[in-house]
Amino acid sequence: MKKSIIKLGLLAAVLSFQTGCNTSLELDPTSVITNESFWKTEDDARGGLTSLYVKQRSLASLNLFIWGEARSEVMEWGKVSGTLDYDRYYLNTLSSVSAGPSWQAVYSAINDANLILKYVPNISFANEVNKNNILAQAYVSRAFLYFVLVKTWGEVPVRTEPVEGAEPEVIQKARSSQEEVFTLIKDDLEKANSLFSSYGFVKSRNYWSKAGVQALKADVYLWTAKRLNGGNADFQTALTACDEVAKADVSLLPNYADLFKYGNKNNKEVIMAIGNKEFEVGNNYFANLYSSRLPNEIDPTTNEIIGQTSGGMVWTVTDLVKNQFKDGDLRKAASVLDMPAPGFYPTLILKGRGTLISGVRYFTSDFVIYRYADVLLMKAEAKNGLGQDPSTEMNLVRQRAYGTAYEANKFVNGSTVQNDQAILQERLLELMFEGKRWWDLVRFHKAFELVPTLKGKADQKHLEYFPISEQVLSLEPLVEQTDGY
Amino acid sequence: MIRNIQLKLSKSSSNKEDTISSSMYLNRIALLLFFVCSSFLVYAQTTVTGKVVDRDKNPVSSVTITEKGTQNGTSTGEDGTFSLMVNSNQSILVISAIGKKAIEVPASSSTLAAISLENDDTNIEEVLVVGYGTQSRETLTTAISKMDEKVLENVSFANPASALQGTVSGVRVQSTSGQPGAAPRVIIRGGTSINNPNGASPLYIIDGVIRSNMNDINADDIASMQVLKDAASTSIYGARGSNGVVIITTKSGDANRTKVEYSYNLTSSNVGKLYDVASARDYIYYSRVGAQVAERKVPGSINLLTQPSGFGTGNDLTNNTGFTTQYLTDANKHKLNEGWQSMADPTDPSKTIIFQETNWQDVLFQNSLSHDHHLAVSGGTDRATVNASIGYMKSDGIAITTFYDRISANLNSDLKVNDKLTVNGKMMYSYSTNNVVYSDSELFFRAANLAPTAKYTFEDGTLAPGQARNTGNPVYYLNKRDNKAATENLTLALSADWKPIEGLTVSPQVSLYKVTGDNYVFTHAYLNGVGNVNTTRPASSAYNKNMQTQADLIANYTKSYGNHTFDAMGGFSYFQRYIYGFNASGQGAATDLIPTLNASSTPVSVNGNETIFAMVGYFSRLNYNYAQKYLLSLTARYDGASNLGANYRWGFFPGVSVGWNMHKEDFFVNAQPYLSTLKIRASYGVNGNISGLSDFHAQGSYAVGSRYLDESAVQNTVLANPNLKWEQSKTLDFGVDLGFMDNRFNILFDYYNRRTDDLITNLTLPPSTGFSSISTNLGSLQNKGIELELNADILPRTSALGWNVGFNISTTKTKILKLPDNGTLNNRVGGVYVWNEASNGYAWMGGLQEGGRIGDFYGWQQDGIYRTDAEAANAPMDLTMPFADKTKYGGDVNYADLDRNDTLDTRDLTYLGNPYPTVTGGFSTSVNYKGFSFYARMDYTKGHTIYNYAKIFLSGLWAPNLNIPQEMIDRGWKQDGDMAERPQYIPGTANYSYWRGSAYHLSSTNSEFYEKGDFLTLREVTLAYQIPSAWTERFKLKNVRVNVTGSNLYYFTTYTGLNPEDGGTDQGRYPIPRNFSVGLKAAF
Repeated sequence: MKKSIIKLGLLAAVLSFQTGCNTSLELDPTSVITNESFWKTEDDARGGLTSLYVKQRSLASLNLFIWGEARSEVMEWGKVSGTLDYDRYYLNTLSSVSAGPSWQAVYSAINDANLILKYVPNISFANEVNKNNILAQAYVSRAFLYFVLVKTWGEVPVRTEPVEGAEPEVIQKARSSQEEVFTLIKDDLEKANSLFSSYGFVKSRNYWSKAGVQALKADVYLWTAKRLNGGNADFQTALTACDEVAKADVSLLPNYADLFKYGNKNNKEVIMAIGNKEFEVGNNYFANLYSSRLPNEIDPTTNEIIGQTSGGMVWTVTDLVKNQFKDGDLRKAASVLDMPAPGFYPTLILKGRGTLISGVRYFTSDFVIYRYADVLLMKAEAKNGLGQDPSTEMNLVRQRAYGTAYEANKFVNGSTVQNDQAILQERLLELMFEGKRWWDLVRFHKAFELVPTLKGKADQKHLEYFPISEQVLSLEPLVEQTDGY
Repeated sequence: MIRNIQLKLSKSSSNKEDTISSSMYLNRIALLLFFVCSSFLVYAQTTVTGKVVDRDKNPVSSVTITEKGTQNGTSTGEDGTFSLMVNSNQSILVISAIGKKAIEVPASSSTLAAISLENDDTNIEEVLVVGYGTQSRETLTTAISKMDEKVLENVSFANPASALQGTVSGVRVQSTSGQPGAAPRVIIRGGTSINNPNGASPLYIIDGVIRSNMNDINADDIASMQVLKDAASTSIYGARGSNGVVIITTKSGDANRTKVEYSYNLTSSNVGKLYDVASARDYIYYSRVGAQVAERKVPGSINLLTQPSGFGTGNDLTNNTGFTTQYLTDANKHKLNEGWQSMADPTDPSKTIIFQETNWQDVLFQNSLSHDHHLAVSGGTDRATVNASIGYMKSDGIAITTFYDRISANLNSDLKVNDKLTVNGKMMYSYSTNNVVYSDSELFFRAANLAPTAKYTFEDGTLAPGQARNTGNPVYYLNKRDNKAATENLTLALSADWKPIEGLTVSPQVSLYKVTGDNYVFTHAYLNGVGNVNTTRPASSAYNKNMQTQADLIANYTKSYGNHTFDAMGGFSYFQRYIYGFNASGQGAATDLIPTLNASSTPVSVNGNETIFAMVGYFSRLNYNYAQKYLLSLTARYDGASNLGANYRWGFFPGVSVGWNMHKEDFFVNAQPYLSTLKIRASYGVNGNISGLSDFHAQGSYAVGSRYLDESAVQNTVLANPNLKWEQSKTLDFGVDLGFMDNRFNILFDYYNRRTDDLITNLTLPPSTGFSSISTNLGSLQNKGIELELNADILPRTSALGWNVGFNISTTKTKILKLPDNGTLNNRVGGVYVWNEASNGYAWMGGLQEGGRIGDFYGWQQDGIYRTDAEAANAPMDLTMPFADKTKYGGDVNYADLDRNDTLDTRDLTYLGNPYPTVTGGFSTSVNYKGFSFYARMDYTKGHTIYNYAKIFLSGLWAPNLNIPQEMIDRGWKQDGDMAERPQYIPGTANYSYWRGSAYHLSSTNSEFYEKGDFLTLREVTLAYQIPSAWTERFKLKNVRVNVTGSNLYYFTTYTGLNPEDGGTDQGRYPIPRNFSVGLKAAF
């Protein structure tokens, strides 16, 4: 009897233990969110959208500059420390061995956009305007990201659904034609445009807005007009888009140098800038355009400008480009600074020098994607493409650039070819170091003419695009190398 | 004191006679501690006398005789005789000696006149701790190795996992860092991981408590350490056994003997190996010559000659320059009287350069001292026993400022409530603090190799910073930082053994294991190189808590019918791990005086996490033997884990093993005593593995923490995979146990073949998915190998001189059997597209592919150095050179153009080795004569390749102001016609002979820098002396032992870096210290 009581007791103990334990295998996380529990509320949608901006910012910290400007004639080695392998860009020695940044970070951002576009439509919002705003920002971001991809590599894989598993048919994708990519971009831009309710900025100029959509649209259509035989129709669309931008609260700042002052972020000229903030993000590409060492003796003013930096000054502006600033061009002093000890210290780039805290410089200037001067020059380009006189827009930009010396430097309408040349030159001086020059050269078909390291290579058209690295090729069996590399 | 709890269980369940045949190892320690033991209280009523003799009737001295159940005892003299007063002639005498089997004899026995003891050195009679129980070596059918206790005796181990190095077959232990207290890497049978083979650490079971490491344990508290290797033995741990199991038992009290034992170890350590780098004079000479050469590829390189840099002359005596190199002037010539040196400028011999030389390795390393105290009290009665110990270790590192301090305490007590119920309570505690450097790479590679001309102090006597914090004066930067890290470990366990009926034992155990860590780091205001005052004063603080609760219930039933013996065990286990932590960082403190966060004016970040994991398991085992001849063991476990997808949450893990003790057969008599033991055994089992899987991995995750302009982002960081399931490994093991010459020579041999399927692995995704990887069940991996352990008593047992030799060797061969279909040949992931001589064409090699290994190195093959410009003119076009002008010169590396297409590119990469060792093992020998003993131990590891990144980095000066490896000077090309093995030294970016592009510098460069890591190390040499009790008794001391030990004495290796133990990329490692220690043990 006693034994059976013990046995029963044991059995009961084991059974109750067991049931208790089985249920305790059903655990819920506290500090992370699982896929199942996400994408339910407005807050989730906003958190997902913020992630999309975080990822666009990570591109703007270096890669957008590498893809958009590093291969142009603007840059060269700083000669005081290593090259960080940036020489492959300005020397144009890219190959599959040494291919530059992978496209993974772009697709990571695209995936965020795809998640928003898949899930947010099913979330109910208190105010439909807010929901449309979020969807619009996702569309325009995706268009922007694909535009970066197509300008960099030409044909690229197109993904419009988020990656949510590892099935080979989902994760392996071949490159799509440029036309297909542009169809998606243009389609996304239309959707974004119709979802934005007004030309007001959403929260600040650090988020995509209706004006941003139009600026991007102008850029996209100028590209297809010039590179994909879009012709007059595309020039016209670009021109219209530029006019649309003006409907927002944007204008040229009176003083060029004010554009880059750290305390003057979000000024009225900005249409869309990727926001940076100290302690939120690391240094952007300007860190390596800045000196990390001081000459032995230096005047206090210069010392103040330099401050302490962590940058390596691995590259700087070429004399070729620096010397293209004409006398009286106020943009020169706002863009570059020649140091008193030229043998040791190359020219400093002033546009993105961030801020100084406790003796440490934080290179956290915003990365301007579109500002009004850029749009004016795009408008000039579109007009010229349509055979119209671009003088108004050109002179708006020059007036500010030259101040008192404006009259001597006034733009006068010439032939289409001359105008194109003048517009491209104006873009160089106006937008130097802002991540535009290489793409401008490609759009104007001038890379082989104006970049010394590409002279005589005009028959190697593939050099206008980037190669795909072996690492990427080894992981993407369906992706083929960029033609020519 | 010595016996562990498991042993006690087996003893209580068997007959009293069994005590005599208890484990050799346990007794050996026990006897050692008994040695020269005598009683505190003597109230004898009868005097017994006797004599102890060996087989040849020679007297044996120093044999301990105790009266059982009391602390009354004595020892034999030189003539082997003894005399002891005992309570009555009914008393039992326990007769024991080092290396002999203890026996019990009644005081009234007639055999007292010639007691003979037998050598106790046969593996066969070991009692081994198996999962949830014990088993004798005689009936064991699985692959279990036990560590020789001698290993723990002399060396003061800050981390006792190091004791496994080379001492147990099948276990690869690599000391990856010389930081005191650092955990070595322990991998059993090669592990079962594809994406992190170095992370496949075994499961540790310490007194029944599951842990993921054995850090912060006092080696003096360890009674035994053993390793379960094959699947049949580990399948009892089911889900987590596939990487092997290390079982540790700590010391417990011994009935009827009270003992106080104290030990102390004083260790002096120094750095075993240094970098061989140039003198300041050579550094300046070759750098200045090289900078001129660099000009031909990189215009402007000669600017370096006049810069305020290591070999530039732009320096002066002010605080504005960090280096001493400068031209001789009237203003500085007085420095030549203060120990500065001078030389002609090789670029302009009319000028004189002066400089001061500093050996930065001398600055960084020190001779350090460590102290290790341990005090243990043990004893008890028939009803209750207790073992209590306390330890304190203070260990300074050989790198300045580094240290490890530990206080540990251990309490283990048993209470026999009644004949049927015994209760055990345990407490194990440790508190450790340490300081580690802020970066191994920045200190042990960069600071150690800082330009020898860098200023140690400025003219005003203050410390100079060097180049910058990442390549700086170590004294300056290591002292500009307050770092305090503390770890607290607490284990509490309560268990019971209840024997309701004959043969049945029910053992519940509940335990709590808690590890908490707290730390703060604060960096003072500092000069980040001259002139750059950084007053950021970053501060951070963190707290984390890891708490495990575990409940086990085991029932064991033993029954014999004639020759049939059954031992059945069933059990249930519940395990839960809870982690909680937070950290914060700030900056902007106004002063260096307060290192904690309250001084920060600006908050920078905050972080927190809480997570939980649970497992439930049901398990059982059946051991059967027939007259100890035919052995069978069946195990099974059914496990559930919370971090797997609901559909695949449960897994079943069986194991079966069989054995045949041929030496118990009648026909075997003829072979004895030459072949005294022959056992063959075989096992097969299935294990699971979910290590490396985060707690909610299967469900995917959206993480927080990133911000965009003060708004929080929620980012999809982990792709969900609801189909994640158990990784399964199946192991087949064949073993033979052999004993010769009455088991004086023993051999244990095992062959294993393990196949792991459904590996939980991060599958690298195409970059255009936006994700780098997904956790999935991917393919199959095979590990196979052999393990051999030899143990021999070279001299006959009758000899007064005892000489034991041990040897072990283990091999591991790893092959990827299967990968998921992805449309490529061999379902390859990653790799390089290179020329393949075998197929006379190009092929994708390396990466992960079926039939291949993990982690193969590929680099460019150096075929020599061009002797002249003319010879270099025929060089193939080097496409990896980042210059438009691709001309090569004399003194450049001649890389092999393997595909013979007259260009050098990545298709010319070739196989240069693999980072994982294939052969490991060790030798040991011990010699005992009277009280003296000598012990030496070596271990070796073979087959791993190390990419000496630090050396190629210096050889090409990939960052400014670093010294030149001496071999670049001794073996480098200097002038036309030189037959050299190293190219001309060219500092910086112009060094295309070594710099193969940033995409490749961390993995693929020059073949000369992929060095074999093979090594044999003299791990320990000890000379110990047991002081005769006659000498010590008047000081009321017993069992006094002194030892002198050297450890990590020498590495026989061709590797030129500081530590050859770890394969892979060497970017600077904390060198392994060479230690000399003196130890003292005494009992009261």
